[in-house]
Amino acid sequence: MTRGSRVWMLFALAMGWLFLLLWPLLGIHPDGSLTFAEAFSVWWKIALAALFGFVIHRLSRAGVFDVVTRPLSRLTQGVGRVYASSPKWMFLVPLLAFALTYPFFTDRYAQDVAVNVLVYICLGLGLNVVVGLCGLLDLGYIAFYGVGAYTYALLSIHYGLSFWLSLPVCAALAAVAGCLIGYPTLRMRGDYLAIVTLGFGEIVRIVINNWMSLTNGPNGILGIAPPSIIVPAMKDGVLVMETVVMRQLSYMYYIILGLAVFTVVAVRRLNFSRIGRAWEAIREDETAAELMGVNTFRFKLLAYAMGAVFGGLAGAFFAARMRFVSPESFTFIESAMVLAMVVLGGLGSIPGVILGALALVALPEVFRQFELYRMLVFGGVMAVMMLVRPEGLWPAARMGKRSDDEG
Amino acid sequence: MAEGGGCQGHKAERMDYFLQQMINGLTLGGVYALVALGYTMVYGIIQLINFAHGEIFAAGGYLGVIFLSFLTANGFMETHPGLGIGLSLVLSMGYCAMLAMAVEKVAYKPLRQSSRLAVLLSALGMSIFLQNGLMLTQGVYDKAYPTEFTHGGFDLGAIRVSYMQIGILAVTAILLVALNALVFRTRMGKAMRATAQDKVMSALVGISANRVISLTFAIGACLAAAAGIMVGLYYGSVRYDMGFVPGIKAFAAAVLGGIGNITGAMVGGLIIGMVEIMAAAYLPMGGQYKDVFAFVILIGVLYFMPTGIMGENVDDTRV
Amino acid sequence: MKGFSRIIVLTLALCLAMGAAAQAATLKIGSQSPLTGSYAADGNDIANGTRAAIDAIQKEGGIPGFEKIELFAEDDACDPRQAVAAANKLLNEKVVGVVGSYCSSSTIPASEVLDEGKILMLTPASTSEKVTERGLPYMFRVCGRDDDQSVAAMKFMTDELKAKTVFIVDDKTTYSQGLADNVEKLAKEKGIKVIEHDHVNQGDKDFSAVLTKVKDAKPDVFYMSLQNSSSGALMLIQAKRMGIDAAIIGQDAVYHPQLMEIAKDAAEGVYLTFGFIDEETPAYKKFLAAYEKYGKPGAYSAYAYDSAYSLLSAIKAAGSTDPDKIKAEIMKIDTLGASKHIKFMENGDSGSNYIIRIVKDGQFKNYWDPQTGKKY
Repeated sequence: MTRGSRVWMLFALAMGWLFLLLWPLLGIHPDGSLTFAEAFSVWWKIALAALFGFVIHRLSRAGVFDVVTRPLSRLTQGVGRVYASSPKWMFLVPLLAFALTYPFFTDRYAQDVAVNVLVYICLGLGLNVVVGLCGLLDLGYIAFYGVGAYTYALLSIHYGLSFWLSLPVCAALAAVAGCLIGYPTLRMRGDYLAIVTLGFGEIVRIVINNWMSLTNGPNGILGIAPPSIIVPAMKDGVLVMETVVMRQLSYMYYIILGLAVFTVVAVRRLNFSRIGRAWEAIREDETAAELMGVNTFRFKLLAYAMGAVFGGLAGAFFAARMRFVSPESFTFIESAMVLAMVVLGGLGSIPGVILGALALVALPEVFRQFELYRMLVFGGVMAVMMLVRPEGLWPAARMGKRSDDEG
Repeated sequence: MAEGGGCQGHKAERMDYFLQQMINGLTLGGVYALVALGYTMVYGIIQLINFAHGEIFAAGGYLGVIFLSFLTANGFMETHPGLGIGLSLVLSMGYCAMLAMAVEKVAYKPLRQSSRLAVLLSALGMSIFLQNGLMLTQGVYDKAYPTEFTHGGFDLGAIRVSYMQIGILAVTAILLVALNALVFRTRMGKAMRATAQDKVMSALVGISANRVISLTFAIGACLAAAAGIMVGLYYGSVRYDMGFVPGIKAFAAAVLGGIGNITGAMVGGLIIGMVEIMAAAYLPMGGQYKDVFAFVILIGVLYFMPTGIMGENVDDTRV
Repeated sequence: MKGFSRIIVLTLALCLAMGAAAQAATLKIGSQSPLTGSYAADGNDIANGTRAAIDAIQKEGGIPGFEKIELFAEDDACDPRQAVAAANKLLNEKVVGVVGSYCSSSTIPASEVLDEGKILMLTPASTSEKVTERGLPYMFRVCGRDDDQSVAAMKFMTDELKAKTVFIVDDKTTYSQGLADNVEKLAKEKGIKVIEHDHVNQGDKDFSAVLTKVKDAKPDVFYMSLQNSSSGALMLIQAKRMGIDAAIIGQDAVYHPQLMEIAKDAAEGVYLTFGFIDEETPAYKKFLAAYEKYGKPGAYSAYAYDSAYSLLSAIKAAGSTDPDKIKAEIMKIDTLGASKHIKFMENGDSGSNYIIRIVKDGQFKNYWDPQTGKKY
């Protein structure tokens, strides 16, 4: 009981603290008056919500909800077991079928959100190679996205190169950029790497914004050709090859779906290859990995380049879809968002990253109804999600056993 | 008026122009240094890039304007201008300390055993949350600082020095000395250094890590609040998103100086500020590329001195 | 079980019926602008200007056939990707027209989406030439264009200030750099010496380095091309402190009451190119009355109000939500709005009426008319 009352006292203290934080912002006015009504009206709403959450939390700790949660957790465990024991295609086939038929039963807006989610899945999986598999913190990943986008934009408007031919060029250039950035920075560890990559990301953005003759600076590049495909068609009884410009959003959806599936497969293959094992070794203990004969520098550089390739592909698609690129799309906050997807979903876990991208792209759209409160709610939800599931929504299964694993 | 561009061609060699730019650089560097100190202290103790620190700095600026306008409206500033500024400074430092401690308790403490990336993300979420919270409570428009005296200054030959520039440098220097005294001369400082070096050992000798960490956040927030008010007074206004860019620059400054190292943060801040101003002052197209120069210097220094200029001071064992 | 499913079906049917009924009586229009992020101040002005126009129309008896006018105020944060998402959202909501956006780099991709859905778009703030030069049939612009604005500024420099030298600074956005480049080009044509064209970055707070340069160069005119009023105020304070005595010319993006609130006496005597506002006209007074509950109007409030007002009155005149009919009515508009005389040209532009305004006693005042070359 004393313990219980202590908890409630702490709760009261926290709410008092909150009021003290709210009141100066809302209650002290520049005309020299003091009021309490505004601060109080905001405070009691938050306090009530907090109280509600807190009571639920206490009750669940005390086992009141066991009637519901026990069978529920048994159910989820059961589902997990069924999932683990049944072949993967049983889930992949319906999922793929859903993805393929998605444009037929959704409207434009839903398709647009889906396209964005898929773009960020590519980006997230690319960054996952660097952060999740190799353990290198990268805060400037969006630079590769920018390189890809501008590469296709320039190739398209200057040389009229088609989207499909540009894709490998974009990927290659992004990989080169990855090596260029990786070479001087990869000797650094941990958070030094973070600030240096952040710096490189900013450098790329500032250069894009200022190199007028190449990128047209802040005006951006307009008139990028959308992808087109050549299909056989019958014209006046003769078989001709016809170019179909894929302007429609649903076509765009299928292109990015293809790219995303390619990325998923590629990252998965990489993950389970020798290279992937080397990356994981570096992530777990760089010194030990080097001792075991892994060329850490080369593998780290490779991780950078591979991550950049997926970023470049996503960038090329982004340019083709928007038919317009400008530096506003490649700011630091975008890098932070992609990193958030990877961490939120679960480092190194492919389904996790997909879930993370889904959450972080779809949430701001869901929150549109909050208008001004949109980003506030988003920031809060992001912190809360981390508190509830610090290891991510779908953590990666560890390969093998480590000495500090218990049991 | 000088003949055509006559003076322009030689400005690179003129001393007064150089000195003027140097004063500009020192002022900007002083601001970065004040914010960087908070970063470096928090990083030194829990190895967290505290993204929300920039927002604490912005909150400090806002609280300063709130208290100052309140005092001005009540006629207090006319009779006791110095006391009024001092009072606002202390009050908003207190507020920011409370805010930072709350952020730490809510968003970082429960994650102390989790991966560092999880805490980083939580910090990012808090940063977005606080920035938008400021926007919603204080409005989307800038808030003007009420004082008029900040325009004043004096001429030293051809160089113009404003009182605010002197003020910023003085406050930065005083806080740095005070902070050094706190960290190296008091029992509290000893506990902080011990916790920064080895959490397990310091816990074994009876230092409460939770209290030390709370305290570190509070002190870092006080410095950020001071920086926020100085920036508000110097530039004349505050804005809800003002914390973001200086936050990144200050983080770069902290790393440049050697993260976890208090003197290093100061040195790093001054260097970044100076590089930006000098790049804009002397290099062709320096104005738009000044951030590039700042980051290139950072990368270059880290390449040759991987632990920063003054050396790092952090616990490298994983707990 | 059977009863239960029947209830569900009934509820669903009821919801559908209600939805249909609401749809018949509600006119939906959209606004998109940066409600969060660095440009939130101007973005909210745009949303509020649109709201004020809806209030004004409602007060005049509304639009026949529609009980309610519903506004979807979307946030695009000045990010092209979010702008496209917002446009798609509006397209989904089947809005008739959209007021927005703020940044040209958001307006351009968003307008392409809206064009596919034949939704009218009226921008109150995007001044880039590219906005209307792409030949989109449903794209209109209520504000002026960068190229016209720089002409007015240059005319003022040569005819009134008799300037010989100019120092140009911009903050590297489509808007500010476009203007600054035009001024530089025109200055060279007119024989004014451009001492230097320097740049700062968006979001900078410290302009001391570049201002020291300006002070050192002693130009006759300091042309300050910035994207928003908050940077403008900061630059004015620092310029004053530095002791720069050149004539300072700004433009419509720094036109906002907060310029004087922040910079105070440092803003005195600053010239701005801005559309001519006759505060005595009934249209302007009506706008002020409708806007009152949203605070002081900013630079784009009146433009947003006029955009929305033009759209709504065209819908009223057309008596339909058919985009082509509304477009025909929009093209017929020839009236004095709150911000200027509104008459759309074939390409969707509505012309510019830039004059020179000055900050005097903490207020914006009409100062000089480039058409007549005389002071007001």
